[in-house]
Amino acid sequence: MAKNVMVVDDSASIRQVMSLTLAKAGYDVTEACDGADALGKLTGQKVNLIVCDVNMPNMDGISFLKSLKDKPGYKFTPVIMLTTESQESKKQEGKAAGAKAWVVKPFKPEQMLEAVSKLILP
Amino acid sequence: MELELGQARQTFITESQELLQEMESALLTLEADPACQDAINSLFRSAHTIKGSSGVLGIETVEKFTHHVENLLSKMREGEILACKENIDLLLQCRDHISTLTALAADGIEVLTPEIEASGAALAARLGQWLAAPVEKKEEKQAKPPESRHEGPSSATDAWHISIRFGQDVLRSGMDPVSFISYLSKMGEVVSITTLFDSMPQASDMDPESCYLGFEIDLRSDFDKAAIEGVFEFVREDAVIHILPPFSRVASYVELIQGLPEDMLLLGEILVKGGALTKAELEEALRRQQDAEGGQEKHRIGEMLVAGGSLHPEIVDAALDKQKKNQSIAGREASTVRIDAAKLDALVDLVGELVISGANIDQHSQRMSDAALQESASVMLRLVEEIRESTMKIRMVPIGETFSRFRRVVRDISRELGKDMDLVISGGDTELDKTVIEKIGDPLMHLVRNSADHGVEGPEERRAAGKDPKGTIRLNACHDAGSIIIEVSDDGKGLNKEKITAKAVAAGLIQPGQQLTDQEVFRLIFEPGFSTAEAVTKFSGRGVGMDVVKRNIEALRGTIDIDSAPGKGTTVRIRLPLTMAIIDGFMVGVGGSPYIIPLDMVMECVELPASEKSAADRRSYINLRGAVLPFVRLREFFAESGERTGHENIVIVQYGGTRIGLVVDELFGEVQTVIKSLGRVYREIKGISGATILGNGQVALILDVPRLMQAVEASLLAMSA
Repeated sequence: MAKNVMVVDDSASIRQVMSLTLAKAGYDVTEACDGADALGKLTGQKVNLIVCDVNMPNMDGISFLKSLKDKPGYKFTPVIMLTTESQESKKQEGKAAGAKAWVVKPFKPEQMLEAVSKLILP
Repeated sequence: MELELGQARQTFITESQELLQEMESALLTLEADPACQDAINSLFRSAHTIKGSSGVLGIETVEKFTHHVENLLSKMREGEILACKENIDLLLQCRDHISTLTALAADGIEVLTPEIEASGAALAARLGQWLAAPVEKKEEKQAKPPESRHEGPSSATDAWHISIRFGQDVLRSGMDPVSFISYLSKMGEVVSITTLFDSMPQASDMDPESCYLGFEIDLRSDFDKAAIEGVFEFVREDAVIHILPPFSRVASYVELIQGLPEDMLLLGEILVKGGALTKAELEEALRRQQDAEGGQEKHRIGEMLVAGGSLHPEIVDAALDKQKKNQSIAGREASTVRIDAAKLDALVDLVGELVISGANIDQHSQRMSDAALQESASVMLRLVEEIRESTMKIRMVPIGETFSRFRRVVRDISRELGKDMDLVISGGDTELDKTVIEKIGDPLMHLVRNSADHGVEGPEERRAAGKDPKGTIRLNACHDAGSIIIEVSDDGKGLNKEKITAKAVAAGLIQPGQQLTDQEVFRLIFEPGFSTAEAVTKFSGRGVGMDVVKRNIEALRGTIDIDSAPGKGTTVRIRLPLTMAIIDGFMVGVGGSPYIIPLDMVMECVELPASEKSAADRRSYINLRGAVLPFVRLREFFAESGERTGHENIVIVQYGGTRIGLVVDELFGEVQTVIKSLGRVYREIKGISGATILGNGQVALILDVPRLMQAVEASLLAMSA
């Protein structure tokens, strides 16, 4: 069974690019538009990896990450954070919350795919 | 034509002096490390050049003798004769002989005296013996296959060796070690993989959420190191990773490193540029190095990288070589322009005049109060100041070369006297005015000889005193508040105060029973005709040294001090002004006459408070923020006429740890001061070191603060006595 990757980003176009790239590489993809939406969609299916933007309305990436660790079944799910170069303080915050993998925006779809496949193969 | 040849001869003399200097240091290097091929090459090159140019110029004496030397060196270069103590000694003597011959040639003497002829023949004969001796080849060296050095953890396969220990938190962060390894197979072929369980605890202690695994992986891949490291990007912080390139890559790294541009001087930078080291590895190593520096041991970055398994020693060696080459290239490039010293002096003189006329223009522009003119004048003044600074810098030369001359001196003395000592040089890149460097050589030579000869004891004596049988002489140079300090120190027996006192009494320099401070006792050895060494050796002890040393230093406007502790050693400290010609001065007015105080000695200026005034009239010190500050009224000291103005200012100056106040009438501020020395007639005047011409043509005297302090001290003592 193909691995399920969830992409969380408030920009529909970025979500679309990521979904296409991942699907082409053989992953199943679930999309979510912010943290709260993502938390909701996690229940009822198995997600193997999450790619998550930091800045989002409703629930931002860092708070999402914190809530994720408390969600049953998702304690050890790898998360790749998307951040811009300038957000050094956000990065520190994210590290404190347990994020290890980062991809710096703006990124090329291949870079994101590379990061995902380092963590799980399809 | 005749003239041109004369000039070429002059060039040959200077050139050969440099080459001989190079030969000497190469020989000394060789003595320390007989296998050093670089030193042998440099020796051969130097001898070859001397022979060649002397031949062209028809200086037969030099050419003929150097030819013998070159023969031996050529055999040494080919490895047919190995460098050893005996032949190095012989070569040093030959070097000296060549030096004598060139010196004679410089004076135009072509016919040698019988003694020189004889010693040359003797040396040539000894060289001949070496050449005729059975050839001892350095076979072992060549027989050793070069590959034998290539023994590393993964020598069997020609693959990248990745050694990774995952941290315990890896699983908790959602990372799966297996996924990274699977990803690796995208980069190439995983040849072998070994899983390490050595940190796995007993089942009862094991935390199922923690990762205890380590892997040793051999990977055949065409990617570069940074790309392979990139695979582990996300676990970098939680794991210990070492990536060692395959051996077939070592050579290409070495080649890459050798081909790098020549402007890089940092080892890490060279390694990263060559691709042998990734940025992350370098940062990690630098951090570890910094952590380690907190402790006593300082680790070298190259050694740490090899020990940490990130690099092959061969690559580090290549990078170190490259670094050395770059440094020497940088050094050589810096010293390529040769200028006649007289031209430079003329330039400095002109700049001096420029500074004066600049000040003149400034004064006029101030008076005319034309804003545009003032603007232009101030721009010009700034430029003049920059010119002044760069001109001064042209004259600055690092003292290192002068220092390294003493290696030979120390070596010769230790051979001759059967002592064992090291010369440790530090601060060799400290820059001094060229004239100062030229004149400091002889005094330093005396001091180093004294230390080697009288200071450092023989090995038995040292052992008996519980010291390292090997003595150390240190030469150090550093900057200190506008002056340069040169220290010559040894860890020998120190000065014997009783002996000095007794000798001084015998010589009538002091009265018997006279009480002297340690400093005063030590200063006695600078008196003419003073030497406590019982026996005069070849090197020192004739008692003509120290007073000449002191005179030379004083001629450079410097001072000399001695510190000594019995059994511990002696330190001679020479303090010299940075520049000789132009200084930043602080102008003050006393009774209508301007005086200049060297700015680097001025600490602060305060107004003499009215409350202190009446008290200050009676005694010669004031209370400066709770500290006693002795002062001197320059008006009285220089017997200036004119009425005392309403309020007086105190300029507080510091020299060698002592502060005094100078009471003046007016403060004018900073001026650039071109020092004009006073004639011999005024030599005895205390407290004045020179004069300068101000912008308006007026003459201002420059205060000699150290002498002024001494004079004041003496007069205070006289008053209190």
